[in-house]
Amino acid sequence: MNPIVELIDVWKSYNGTQALRGLNLEVYRGEIFGLLGPNGAGKTTTLKIIVGLLKMDKGVVKVNGVDISEEPYEYKRLIGYVPETVSLPEYLTVEEFLIYSGKIREVSNEQIRERIGYFIRLFELEGKRKSLILSLSRGMRQKVAIASALIHDPDLLILDEPFIGIDPMGQHILKDLFNERIKDGKTVFVSTHMLDTAERLCNRVAIIHRGQNVASGDLRNLQQLSKSGENATLEEVFLKLTEEAEMQVVEGEKKKEDSLTY
Amino acid sequence: MRVNIILEVYKFKVKAFFGALRASKASLALLLVYTFGFIPSVVGFSMSITNAVRQGNANPELYAEFLTAIVSALILFVTLLTLRGYTVFEYEQNFIFTSPIQPREFLVASMFADFTASLIFVNPVFILYVIIVLSLNLEFHLALLMFLAILIFIFLLFFLKASLSLMKILYEGSLVNSIILTLAFIFLLPTLRLLIDFPLKFASLPYPSTFLAKILLNIIFNEEPQIFNLLGLIFYFSLGFLFFMFASGKNFFPLSRHTPFVSPFDTSMRMQTLKMRKSIKTFSRISLFFQLNLKSKSLLLFLMRKEIIRTMREGSLFAIILLYLIAALISISIRQASQTSSFFPLTLLVGIYSLIVPLMLVSNWRSSEFENLWIPLTSGVNIRTLVRSLLYDFVLISSAIPAVVMLILSIFSNNNPISSLILIISTSMIGCSVNLYVMMKFLGKKRRGTPALLIGWASLALSALLLAPIYLSIVVSVYLKLGDIVGNLLSIAMLIYSALIMKYFLGKMEKNMINIEI
Repeated sequence: MNPIVELIDVWKSYNGTQALRGLNLEVYRGEIFGLLGPNGAGKTTTLKIIVGLLKMDKGVVKVNGVDISEEPYEYKRLIGYVPETVSLPEYLTVEEFLIYSGKIREVSNEQIRERIGYFIRLFELEGKRKSLILSLSRGMRQKVAIASALIHDPDLLILDEPFIGIDPMGQHILKDLFNERIKDGKTVFVSTHMLDTAERLCNRVAIIHRGQNVASGDLRNLQQLSKSGENATLEEVFLKLTEEAEMQVVEGEKKKEDSLTY
Repeated sequence: MRVNIILEVYKFKVKAFFGALRASKASLALLLVYTFGFIPSVVGFSMSITNAVRQGNANPELYAEFLTAIVSALILFVTLLTLRGYTVFEYEQNFIFTSPIQPREFLVASMFADFTASLIFVNPVFILYVIIVLSLNLEFHLALLMFLAILIFIFLLFFLKASLSLMKILYEGSLVNSIILTLAFIFLLPTLRLLIDFPLKFASLPYPSTFLAKILLNIIFNEEPQIFNLLGLIFYFSLGFLFFMFASGKNFFPLSRHTPFVSPFDTSMRMQTLKMRKSIKTFSRISLFFQLNLKSKSLLLFLMRKEIIRTMREGSLFAIILLYLIAALISISIRQASQTSSFFPLTLLVGIYSLIVPLMLVSNWRSSEFENLWIPLTSGVNIRTLVRSLLYDFVLISSAIPAVVMLILSIFSNNNPISSLILIISTSMIGCSVNLYVMMKFLGKKRRGTPALLIGWASLALSALLLAPIYLSIVVSVYLKLGDIVGNLLSIAMLIYSALIMKYFLGKMEKNMINIEI
């Protein structure tokens, strides 16, 4: 099966600081894929490169088999994206913003109307339909951003820390929504810090550390890989794998220093 | 009252206000630009005063009316400000109001902190004061008296502002509003005198502004100020002080409203966004009738509509309308004062404003939309359509409003508006293209930290350079009195030139937009 997202040896640096160091990743259709990693591991950078908000220094990113460096626009029609820090046009009402999101993705008027109604009901935003985004709470803004990312019914939904700021009921609705989508053969690609949520929600995860893919697969694969035992939680696996990766980096740096000293 | 507490709060507030000034060199540049920007006008103004005094052809009565009107306008402005009630910053509510400080102690510290902050903004007044004192060779005691009169008046304004704002939140109701609005109306009358010829002479009425104006004029003419005027000013100052003592005795802490802390020296994007949020709250109330809906036939028109909605709800559109109304009023005053029928000063003034408006529109777009750019950039929308919608909107707004003003004025003055309209449209096309292009150039990751002010200067310089041939040709055609045929041909050439420049920058902008990294 061809992956819907494929990253091959992707490198990215910011002012000399290496954020991604030859990252390899594969995400398949019909799965909820979780990107896990400690702060500064390169999760947000990875997602931003996939959606075209950042340019990589080196490597290949393919979405639905298309190299995004060669075809940087058309593939975006397949994608719905919600960033970690959601910034929305505060001068628009909720309804106006969703109309705007639909229009720029060339969704038909009829579908826009229908989907706005559906998401407003789903996220319990009926009373806020005509309110300015300025007046919404953080959680409500997050819901509106997710609705806008789904207005064109994309094949691939990419979300950076989607559960932050959302109440437990909202989180439950989201999880149900994601599960519904993968039943239809769509893909959900999330980056998250919430390991217990990832464990229950994701079919497969990748753990990245210092811009590299330390391990990927389902929980059982990761348990075997980390030799943590069958009953190990994702959190235990995550801690073990990231600690090992950190040790390798430290040892590598020590060897480098030693060779320079001699 | 505990002096040490007042001093601590005063120091804290001053540090908070000038914090951004200490942190950023750009803010310091902004302050220098502000101060130096006023020096030519201050010098010019002081020269006209000193020359009139020296030549002995000044009309003190007329001067008194004029100065009374200006000072009244200042009181009017302060009075209207009190309508929003006494506001504090969130940090004051959280950290100062939760300490055992007394309301009066906080108010006194605030007043002195506001006075310190205002010294920065009223520094042109002090420059004017020094020039007048030195050039007229005023006696020391008169110079000192003049200084004290100004100081007393400034504190009178502070007392008035604090007391009325406190009354507004302490006794919320229509009575306080009525009192404030009545006061505002009283102070509006002398100001109106500048525009409408009333039979009443306000300089002979006991306004606080009258007393100050007469004291200042007496001193400028090297005369001893009349005791009556001095007592009048002191009376109003005492009244203000008593009013302040009464209002500051009440516990207003639980009733005060907080506003976002926005330091005028902070040019960061975060601060601009805060300012923008404040504007949206105000202007969306009057512009929600114009909605973004599914009716637009093309994506370009839809995106243009969205941009117009943004400019309305953020207040930019109303600010521009106000700007041109002021331009029109100044032009009418100049025409009446110089008793000329020429349309040229008006054309030039509106032309200059048309150069500033694109900068204003583009700067507001940057503050408001930069953080939201991820939405179109990840949507796969045609970048060309996106850039075109922005540019066309800016050109439309920055040319339509002055064009309407110009057409109305030309009807009243019976002048041919064609060359003025061409100038406006050309300035708008070139100004908007250049400003948007330069702004997009500075949206790249490495250049994003550059303050909008400096980007603005770069844009203005480039726009002015590209507009020079147009202004030059208009000046030449006015002075050489070229015929209609040559004039029309010149207008067509100007429009083609502007359109070509716009097309060139449009292409460049598309490339820049694609490369924006967020």
